[in-house]
Amino acid sequence: MATFGDWLNKRFPLRELMREHLTEYFAPKNFNFLYYTGSLLLLMIVLQFVTGFLLMAHYVPTSQDAFASVQGIMYDVRWGWLIRYMHVDGVSLIFVLLYLHIGRGMLYGSYRKPRELLWIIGYTIYILMMGEAFLGYVLPFGNLSYWAGMVITSIIHSVPFVGPALSTLARGGAGIGTATLERFLALHAVLWFWILAAAIFIHILALHQVGSNNPDGIEIKDTKGADGHPLDGIPFHPYYTVKDIFGVGVWLTIFAAIIFYAPTMHGVFLERTTFSPANPMVSLPDVTPPWYLAPFYAMLRAVPNKMAGIVLMAVAVVLPFFLPWLDRSPVKSSRYRPVYRIMILVMAVTFFTLAWVGEQPPLPKYFLLERAGAAIYVGFYLLLPIISRWEPTRKVPDRVTS
Amino acid sequence: MKIMRKYAIVAVLVAGVAGLSVRANADTLLSLPAGYFNKPAVIAGAKLFARHCSACHSVQSLRFNRLASLGMTKAEIQKDVMLESGANYLQGMQPAMTLAQAKGWFGMPPPDLSHMVRNLGAGFIYNYLQSFYWDPSRPSGWNNHLFPKVAMPNVLQPWSGIVTKQGKVIEPGRVTPAAFHKKVADIVAFLRYASDPSVFTRYKLGGYVLGALIAFSLIAYWLKKEYWKDVHSDSAKHKK
Amino acid sequence: MVTLDDSQGEPDWRRRRFLVATTSVVGAAAVAAVAGVMVDSLEPTAADAAAASTTVNLAPIEAGMQLTVPWQKKPVVIVNRTPAMLATLKETADKGLLRDPNCDVPQQPPYCKNEYRARKPEWLVMIRICNHLCCIPHYRPKKASVTPWWLGGFHCPCHGSMYDLSGRVIKGSPAPHNMAVPEYDFAKDGKTVTITKMYPKAHLC
Repeated sequence: MATFGDWLNKRFPLRELMREHLTEYFAPKNFNFLYYTGSLLLLMIVLQFVTGFLLMAHYVPTSQDAFASVQGIMYDVRWGWLIRYMHVDGVSLIFVLLYLHIGRGMLYGSYRKPRELLWIIGYTIYILMMGEAFLGYVLPFGNLSYWAGMVITSIIHSVPFVGPALSTLARGGAGIGTATLERFLALHAVLWFWILAAAIFIHILALHQVGSNNPDGIEIKDTKGADGHPLDGIPFHPYYTVKDIFGVGVWLTIFAAIIFYAPTMHGVFLERTTFSPANPMVSLPDVTPPWYLAPFYAMLRAVPNKMAGIVLMAVAVVLPFFLPWLDRSPVKSSRYRPVYRIMILVMAVTFFTLAWVGEQPPLPKYFLLERAGAAIYVGFYLLLPIISRWEPTRKVPDRVTS
Repeated sequence: MKIMRKYAIVAVLVAGVAGLSVRANADTLLSLPAGYFNKPAVIAGAKLFARHCSACHSVQSLRFNRLASLGMTKAEIQKDVMLESGANYLQGMQPAMTLAQAKGWFGMPPPDLSHMVRNLGAGFIYNYLQSFYWDPSRPSGWNNHLFPKVAMPNVLQPWSGIVTKQGKVIEPGRVTPAAFHKKVADIVAFLRYASDPSVFTRYKLGGYVLGALIAFSLIAYWLKKEYWKDVHSDSAKHKK
Repeated sequence: MVTLDDSQGEPDWRRRRFLVATTSVVGAAAVAAVAGVMVDSLEPTAADAAAASTTVNLAPIEAGMQLTVPWQKKPVVIVNRTPAMLATLKETADKGLLRDPNCDVPQQPPYCKNEYRARKPEWLVMIRICNHLCCIPHYRPKKASVTPWWLGGFHCPCHGSMYDLSGRVIKGSPAPHNMAVPEYDFAKDGKTVTITKMYPKAHLC
């Protein structure tokens, strides 16, 4: 085997890659459970890729047959139900992981220097993921798919100057029909997906350049031992590989429990209105987005003016890009920033309240909640430069705590 | 910041109470008996459905032979569900009535019921089927509390009897109310199965899958613990 | 690999090797199970199985006439044979014209292993594909319509293979075997026939 290894390494830098990214890639030793999310996201994307391929092998992208072909997968294809539930529930679980992953970054200041670019690439992945989810959402062509497609393409329509042309380009015709399904499938499975995959690859490359942050927000590279390795760092392999394998086991147990015992999650992961075929003549009782997009949708509804609502939503989506420069505190981790810690907590509660209210019917009684939520959300980013300058901080230790 | 936090908590509480009050309004509805959904109920429901509903309603997605996975024999399915109609055993359930007849009688074809339970919920269908009242102003003579002016007549009249909008019994049903509830619950059980036929396989297989994954997690946990002894002993050394 | 030297005591390598092996085996088994499920999902679906059987109404087929219907993208011929036509079957066999008069080669389900090659003598249900090179033979029921000694049967336009009215191949034809008979069932009232599936041992061409 050794000779084969030599032969291979003369032609492909396998050992070098292993050393650089696994056995001599040092990660802080004080990771908590939030640090499982990265490797789990990677696993889930691979699973989506595989199940997506199998779904596509049976899917017919025409307005006549799309709904029936998806039901054919559920009823007639062997294990079709398992594959579709994996794909559908996988989306919701990816967003659970994404929110934990992003929340972790905010909690421990992982967006701060030198990880600004890492944060921006990561947040771009989140936005691409929303697009990918939306494209996939339209494909089964239930009534919800149809109206979601209508609403989102109308939002594109209201973009100044290029909007009308863009929305026609997205729809491929007067309405949502076969042309839309064909191009959405092509985008979902080919172009958009590969852009997403490339962004993920770049994200990991950038991570390996700067190294992982940790719950204490301390740079482990600042304290190196005699051998030149960080004293608080441990090689990714074997320590984090075995830890991540354990994480995968626990996560897949949760995933399987959902797939086998609550695949629609009571209408949250797979909505009731996806079970009636698309009908351009019958609008739904209330068109609400999937839970993971609902916070932004709630902000869209908070303003009684079409353009202003769309602008507010766009601002809310874009604001986190500027986080590395909005935060002026000398300390990174919220562990040593009591005020920032409270702000993050309020932000998390607000975000999930907005998600909840975004799922409710569009009634005036929710306006106050929607507006308050939008104000807190935007307020967080606007107040951060001021608060982070004067907020009191605790002393940051020199070495990571365990 | 503290005020903001307080506000958010109040907001969540208000939202919770609003959600509860919606549920309280629905208290007048009947709730499905616990444990109504099991294989014998689905089989009983399939037979009732064949006799009372399948003349007008299709269940396109569910193939007759799928019922064999519940433990029914082919002969039983042909006799009690296909009603010796000469339909294809391998095809989905089709209505006896033609499309032209449906348009003539109801104005539009009655809906396919394959996904109805997942679309409207089992509770809705259970209540809908028991909410018909006598209304001479309607073409069919029937109206429905939950679905006003519905085109469907009360096909379950032999069981439910004839009741006016105010609840006055014109003609009692031929079965007791309890037996009526049970029959409707069985039909709902069948429709729930039709909308989600992988359900029994899922429940059974799920146990094995979860068992295997928990075993894997356990082994992986020991593996992780074993390797991380290095890290812990290392940090213990540093503390000294 | 970088080891954390001066750690307290040497790691238990046997235990580590054992745990790595166990995790790998269990993990590999899980991956194999999922892969098996995924490959299985690409098998023909229940919709294909339902479309695989074709039911044909026999009423329009008059005595002496044939009807050819598509079944699984193959032509299936259904012939309503008259007593006179059935009489020719024995005659061809007695004259020693046939290569396999007793249908010993399993080109038909066991219940069709008779001179009629059918469940009911008058009804021939057969895949109309010549055993030689997959052409569709002509139906030639009239006597002397192909050769002076012709008693009625099928004649292939491509390479001249000849079959009797049961689809049994006539000696001297390039075709090696009798034409294949699929599995089929008559309805209880006998008014329709349902072609259910290919007889697995039968050889088409």
